[in-house]
Amino acid sequence: MNFVARCRKYGLGVWQCPNFLFLVMGTITIAAMFGTFFVSRQFSDEGVTIMSVTFMSAFIMTIGSFVIRGVENVAEANIMKSEFISIISHQLCTPLSAIKWNMEVIETERDPARCIPDKQMAFLGNIKKSNEQMLKMVTDLLEVARIDQGRAVFESKNLDLARLVEESIDGFQGIAAEQNVKIESRLEPDLESVCADGKKMKVVLDNLIGNAIKYSKESGRIEVKLKKENERVVFSVQDWGVGIPSHQHSKIFEKFFRSRNESRYRTDGVGIGLYLVRAILKHCGGEVWFESEAGVGSTFYFRLPAA
Amino acid sequence: MENATKQKILLIEDDRALQAALTEALVQEGYEVASAFDGEEGLRKIAETQPSLILLDIILPKKDGYEVLDEIKKTPAKDIPVLILTNLEEIDNVQKALDLGAKTFMVKSEFSLKEIVEKIKGNLSQSDKIN
Repeated sequence: MNFVARCRKYGLGVWQCPNFLFLVMGTITIAAMFGTFFVSRQFSDEGVTIMSVTFMSAFIMTIGSFVIRGVENVAEANIMKSEFISIISHQLCTPLSAIKWNMEVIETERDPARCIPDKQMAFLGNIKKSNEQMLKMVTDLLEVARIDQGRAVFESKNLDLARLVEESIDGFQGIAAEQNVKIESRLEPDLESVCADGKKMKVVLDNLIGNAIKYSKESGRIEVKLKKENERVVFSVQDWGVGIPSHQHSKIFEKFFRSRNESRYRTDGVGIGLYLVRAILKHCGGEVWFESEAGVGSTFYFRLPAA
Repeated sequence: MENATKQKILLIEDDRALQAALTEALVQEGYEVASAFDGEEGLRKIAETQPSLILLDIILPKKDGYEVLDEIKKTPAKDIPVLILTNLEEIDNVQKALDLGAKTFMVKSEFSLKEIVEKIKGNLSQSDKIN
């Protein structure tokens, strides 16, 4: 009874569990068919047959309503989960902003008498970095909530994608150097800008380039390309890292999905990066896809209409 | 503009940690800073201190930022530039605040202190020109 255990995990009782109720309904329907068949053979009276058929139908309908209620419970739990994540993320914004700004005050102190020694400053730098990570996670979660609820606002204007890619690469140079990963880029010059939201496209690029570095093996390289193909701008980022096992290929764009590869516990993240990437690109009239083999590496691509 | 008196900025923000950081950053820039921790206190301080610029949060105890904006309009302080500083980033909030007369809308988690100070400077020099 695997599904009963699963329903328990969701906090649903057996009689609220859709899978279990379906099984009950199926069994009763089959029994009812046989029952009606035997009753009508036993009694030639039409009234008895009609009565038993009506009774069975009513019974099946009652069970059916339980099934629907069970499904509704699951759906409601899902909505509550999204709302909960959204509320928590919102509540975290203020304290995280407070940490960020207070750190900034310390960093920008001009009076040498009040300055913090370099050694302590390095620790404060760590706090700042961790805080930025948290802020990024929270803003990503809020963006997911907005996209899910159809509240996301997309600013649409022409965009210099090559410049944005360079900006993103620059932002990752530090992390890449720490991991001994070399970022190579081949960006076609004079690329016509594409129509998309700059801030959101930065999220797309940061996620794709960030993932490539994150899942690269120590001392590897990644290759970022941008070119034009039939009125479309095609971006790709290739790594020679851990790769994605083929049975997970269909799932990687799902919300909160994290690949069970060897890096699962060595890398951070909550599994919303690629979900966001796909949702944003879809909104901008583009598409995303990938090629990947476990142990060999991955290449992620996206295509956007050229302006 | 070389003035004997410093330009005054009023912060209406209920989070004390945010207040502290903002105050320090503005004092370092040479501004005089007044603080209020809820909407009612904010309105009172506007009348008392007559600031050159107001930084206003939206979610506030007693009276929220929209109510404050709305009430400022009915007072002699209606021409003081108001900059919104909040974590409500939905487009409806932005639009509502701008409709009520706010000059700029800033999302706390997206702005650094330096950027906020820049915005304040920009708005102050703009209102100087008008005056």
